[in-house]
Amino acid sequence: MEKDDLIKKLEETSLPKIEIKSHKERLNSVLMKKYSPERKKAEVFNIFRKLVPVGAIAVILFFFIFNNLNSPRYNLAKAKEIALQNNEIKNWLQQGSTIKDIELVDGRAYVLIEPPEAKKQEKEPMPASLKSEGAFQESEKIKENFRGALAEVNIKERKILNIEKLAPAAIDLIQSKKDKALDIANKSQEVQEKIPKEAEVLNINVHTPKFRLSKEGDYVSAIPETETEEKASIIYQFDENQCEGKIDLNKERMEELNCLKEINKDATSE
Amino acid sequence: MDLKEERDLVRKAKKDSEAFSELYKKYYSQIFGYILKRVADLEIAQDVTSETFLKALKNLWQFRWQNVPFSSWLYRIASNEIVNYFRKQKGKKVSLEKITEPISTDNIEVEFIEVQEELKKHQDFLRAQEKISKLDMRYQEVIVLRFFEKKQIKEISEILGKKEGTIKSLLHRGIKKLKDEFFETL
Repeated sequence: MEKDDLIKKLEETSLPKIEIKSHKERLNSVLMKKYSPERKKAEVFNIFRKLVPVGAIAVILFFFIFNNLNSPRYNLAKAKEIALQNNEIKNWLQQGSTIKDIELVDGRAYVLIEPPEAKKQEKEPMPASLKSEGAFQESEKIKENFRGALAEVNIKERKILNIEKLAPAAIDLIQSKKDKALDIANKSQEVQEKIPKEAEVLNINVHTPKFRLSKEGDYVSAIPETETEEKASIIYQFDENQCEGKIDLNKERMEELNCLKEINKDATSE
Repeated sequence: MDLKEERDLVRKAKKDSEAFSELYKKYYSQIFGYILKRVADLEIAQDVTSETFLKALKNLWQFRWQNVPFSSWLYRIASNEIVNYFRKQKGKKVSLEKITEPISTDNIEVEFIEVQEELKKHQDFLRAQEKISKLDMRYQEVIVLRFFEKKQIKEISEILGKKEGTIKSLLHRGIKKLKDEFFETL
């Protein structure tokens, strides 16, 4: 049989309308009985279907807002904002200090404020560590100097819990660097002229006004930055005088030498 | 009934059971006839027709008018139900006896036997249908719709949700298979 013959045969093959009336009627009555429950189901489904996008948008918005409110970036900004509301901090910042770093720990933020031109202050005499030794007396000018602060902020309660003013800290040098610093100092003309050979070396270390935040578990503290340790400080004691020499270990030279008696003399003459 | 009137009736059927009944009465014979031409068995045709209209009722509220006759949607449900029926084959059947209250079956049986006798008179159709039923389902659909239901390619494409080119290709391949493999004896 050819394809056309088959098509012709199929077109001619027909089945007249055959119907089972009893089935048609029974099915109609079943459909009528099911109509109302199905309509109710569809209405509930339609309400649900309309609510789904609204619900989905609400959930997305909730997570978006929740995540943003709890995001580190948001909390950092909030901590900064709270810190700026404090008059003391505001005053420091107006005088050129900056917020150097902020660490977040369990609903609290630690804000490190760095004084302006920290490097210049690095050159200033009078290490805080010597205060306890009673050897040095700070001038009023030095006392007034702001060397940085660490503010503890409670973000949830939007308040500052504590402000700790930082003092330049002494960093211990390794023995080889101590030897190198002493060698540079002793070879310098100033030391040879001003410091007697019998003078005792009280201390060799680094004093830095620069700090960074250190986080260990839930504990955050301000620790001295170690990058500045290439500048060492040597304290000589002789007779009733003390002198502090500043040595640049990289340039291998003595930068300055300040003695207590000279400072006191300057202060009284003023 | 033109397309606009049909659209109004469908819209009404979503709110009013009488309007749905009207739609049902309008399309019952057409859908039952199509299913019977696909399965050539009265009992199966009754079950599949019942399942088709129950599904149509269930999904009526999701039906969106797309300028295609309502019957196309019913044809599509029917086609899917036929596939489902043969997939389950002798599985769960939707028999009206199970979902309606028991009634006297004497008259029903008499009517059933009479209609069966009527069907048996059309041997040409039954022989052709037997051969077609051996083809893959996708060929059966297009051949029955095209030659027994006298549908145009565009209508078949609307019913099956396939492109007209695909329908033409299925028809061509279906007829070839029918000719090569089954119709030597026809």
